[in-house]
Amino acid sequence: MTNTMETKTGISRRSLLKTGAAAVGLAAGSGAISGFPTIWAQSNITLRQFGTGVSNLNAIADKCKADLGITLEMTATDSDAAAQRAVTQPDSYDIADIEYWICKKVFPTGVLQPMDVSKLKYYDELVPLFKTGKLTPDSVIAQGTAPHTVGFVEAQDSKTFAKSPTNWFTMVPTIYNADTLGIRPDLVGRDITSWADIMDPAFKGKTAILNIPSIGIMDAAMIMEAMGNIKYADKGNMTKEEIDKTIDFLIKAKQGGQFRAFWKSFDESVNLMASGEVVIQSMWSPAVAAVRSKGIACRFQPLKEGYRSWGGGLGLAAHLKGAELDAAYEYINWYTSGWVGGYLNRQGYYSANMVSAKKFMTEDEWGYWIEGKPAKGEIKAPDGTVMEKAGAVRDGGSFEERMGKVACWNSVMDEDRYMVKRWNEFIAA
Amino acid sequence: MSHERRTLEFYVLAAFFALFVLFLYGPLSAILILSFQGETGGLTFPLNGVSLHWFANLFERQAVGDFGGSFKRSLVLGVMVMIVTVVVSLLAGLAFRRKFRGATALFYLAVASLVVPSIIISLGIGVVFQQIGFRPAWYTSAFGAHLTWTLPFGVLIMFAVFNRFSPAYEEAARDLGATSWQTFAHVVLPMIAPSLIGVGLFGFTLSYDEFARTLMTSGTFNTLPLEIYGMTTNVTTPVLYALGTVTTVFSFLIILATLGAILYVGRRRARA
Amino acid sequence: MTVALERSTIAAAKPARRRRFSLSAVAPYLQSAPLALILGAFLLLPIIMIVVVSFWDYDFAAMYPDFLTTNYSDVLGSWVTWKTYLNTIKFAAIVWALTLFIGFWVAYFLAFHIRTTAMQMVLFLVCTVPFLTSNIIRMISWIPVLGRNGLINSMLVHMGLVPKPIEWLLYSEFAVVLAMVHLYTLFMVTPIFNTLMRIDRSLVEAARDAGASGWQVLWNVIIPLAKPGMAIGTIFVVTLVMADFSTVQVMSGGQSASVALMMKNQMSLLQYPAAAANAVVLLVLVLLMVAGILRIVDIRREL
Repeated sequence: MTNTMETKTGISRRSLLKTGAAAVGLAAGSGAISGFPTIWAQSNITLRQFGTGVSNLNAIADKCKADLGITLEMTATDSDAAAQRAVTQPDSYDIADIEYWICKKVFPTGVLQPMDVSKLKYYDELVPLFKTGKLTPDSVIAQGTAPHTVGFVEAQDSKTFAKSPTNWFTMVPTIYNADTLGIRPDLVGRDITSWADIMDPAFKGKTAILNIPSIGIMDAAMIMEAMGNIKYADKGNMTKEEIDKTIDFLIKAKQGGQFRAFWKSFDESVNLMASGEVVIQSMWSPAVAAVRSKGIACRFQPLKEGYRSWGGGLGLAAHLKGAELDAAYEYINWYTSGWVGGYLNRQGYYSANMVSAKKFMTEDEWGYWIEGKPAKGEIKAPDGTVMEKAGAVRDGGSFEERMGKVACWNSVMDEDRYMVKRWNEFIAA
Repeated sequence: MSHERRTLEFYVLAAFFALFVLFLYGPLSAILILSFQGETGGLTFPLNGVSLHWFANLFERQAVGDFGGSFKRSLVLGVMVMIVTVVVSLLAGLAFRRKFRGATALFYLAVASLVVPSIIISLGIGVVFQQIGFRPAWYTSAFGAHLTWTLPFGVLIMFAVFNRFSPAYEEAARDLGATSWQTFAHVVLPMIAPSLIGVGLFGFTLSYDEFARTLMTSGTFNTLPLEIYGMTTNVTTPVLYALGTVTTVFSFLIILATLGAILYVGRRRARA
Repeated sequence: MTVALERSTIAAAKPARRRRFSLSAVAPYLQSAPLALILGAFLLLPIIMIVVVSFWDYDFAAMYPDFLTTNYSDVLGSWVTWKTYLNTIKFAAIVWALTLFIGFWVAYFLAFHIRTTAMQMVLFLVCTVPFLTSNIIRMISWIPVLGRNGLINSMLVHMGLVPKPIEWLLYSEFAVVLAMVHLYTLFMVTPIFNTLMRIDRSLVEAARDAGASGWQVLWNVIIPLAKPGMAIGTIFVVTLVMADFSTVQVMSGGQSASVALMMKNQMSLLQYPAAAANAVVLLVLVLLMVAGILRIVDIRREL
């Protein structure tokens, strides 16, 4: 129903790199897919999963039922409610589908249990970004709450995150992407190359950023740094002075009328863009696709400072044990075994297990979505509608080009109390 | 006054009323029109053709979420809340006719229940259930949370009804030898029946549409408002408007049914 | 269960006159017990919990039972809180004035100018229907109407009344107030309509016979008698606006603050003790406002 595909109508101005070999090389050394998992049909096991609408897809539940016999009951919430539910109603779910930045807060409360890496069949195939923070051995680790920093704990009963990979994984990464500014190429009237462009007086009253404090402040940080106002030690973990500077800057811009709105939900961002209320704003990739599917020109603009990235994963509720726990492991292993990965890749997100996902995508799909090659034929959405005609190239290029240029991850700061306090000031100003 | 010729005041007020109705229905009609949006159309004007696509889409399975299930839950919850609200407010209304210790405190508690911001109740109930170790669910914690919203309405309405209720009817019935129960069942109940139906309607709709109070108390599954809100994180098609149109039509039907019930009660009373 | 209880009490009260006395003394307690129990379990207990939590300490991940007043000094000591409260109260005042004005005249029209009860019923229900549609959807429905390329702006531009679209129609305080009036007017119409319907028409006739003009009747007879309805409507509207977060968020495009929104921002990062302290302050303020209203109009007596 929703067009969650990322599409491309023009030829990117960016040069296209042939990165196919590298993308495959990423997953070198991974094992082969072993036989099909146990069928649980006879035991009638039900797992309850909640998370944002981004990844709580009914198609996954259907396929899971067909492949494993496990009934998945999915509940979609907005990202705020997901965090609340994870912490305040731990009995209400078996599998938590949450983002890494909030995991930094959720996991230490003890509502989730870590996973035994040796029980994860595809652990070795997972993109190294989630283990070491590096996409390739020589890449620079991005700032912010990078998934690997909250990816491991010291021991099964530990609540403190480990500095390096251990045998206890907090969440199995499922879905992630790199966010940047979305623009209306027909209305901005010039090349957009930097996060700083959102502050251009020409766009006064026609810009927007996110109103989720922990993500909005990251947008602001990218802008601040791009404008040369400040150089953060770590954007994702600002000091009080840095928070002050950033918020003061935001307040000034707000009072100057630079922003049209601050959006909180996916549809708000789509409407802002589609209706022409804003022409340049912080945006999510599928939202850009949704705007484009309405026949309105919209580009997910790569910027020289790089992307602000986010990622989500599946965590096991602390109360799981026995057969249910086994089923949960089975489900997670199935999740990373390829079908879901292909499904997510085909929507413009990235799967954490590219090796297995590749087996569930056609060569052309893999080329378009992951390698950044021009589409040879029509690119179709999971529901069969044509998303992209032959010749189209994805904004930002290949997986490596995009995920290799992540400047920072969505974050929770150590000073988050102070940050929320100042954020409330910003909204009240 | 009302039996005289139409005055200028009437026309001015009639125009005002018409404007008010226009104000109420204006944006709703935008939704109504947009729910017939063509297949490629978006959430805003202009229309990209006209189709029933989004209504059909509404009844298909969505990529995310489950309208059918959440609608069912909201409906059942609404009916549960309605029944309890009617019974409990009626009893409380009867209680308040006499003096009893704690009456004032209870009354103010009911008013407070109305006044306490929803999000606080939601948070509080969520935390209490957590501490006690009960599993929150839409039929336990959310049920209770909704009652804190519907009961004060019910109690206030019953209060108003009984304040104006002349005891003369009951005295007359008692003088004729009716028992307390007979007096209640054959005299009091029929007279307050329309108000009770009103309380029930209020109870149902307040619950059916409650969002903030359900937010932290719904447990595993979403009610309809939560589902709609959750959908807005992913859905950007007019299917949301189609849902709006369908729920409005559904509300129309509820109102018609209520109206029918009130008329039926009135006719029965007239016949009796 | 409660009905059965009530039934048996009354039935049992029948035979013995002396017993009935004691039972009728107990009856109000039994009758009010369900209400007291529900409110106790789902209102008092949670609020006590919130108050308790508001004194707790918290750090990055967890909260710790404690007795600290820092959460309160944080809330009360910051100009943001004051500004946000002022802003919220401002919304409450404007929305209240508008809903009262609209609500009274609509109710007055229905009660005194519509001749048949059936017609009154129908028109009243016409007002009710939109209120049965999801609040979220009703709110969202303003966006295509008010937007830069929305219905109103394209109409105005088309008619040549304005050279370019008016910006402040959407994502502004105007939009917030408009949506709130749209959402909450019924809460004013209903109680006022109710009290107006109960006014004894002979009082109005008497005043007219005594030579009072239409305005004098309105001012000296009808409005004083409608006060309880207005008071109840006021309580509804004021408390709804004070606790609102979604309308302010959506209609101001996140540009405007409200107390509940501030709480939600804290809750979104799981800072529950801070949110709880905020909640207690908001609760106290709202209760004081309602107590003030109840001082002016004793709704218990005049309902």
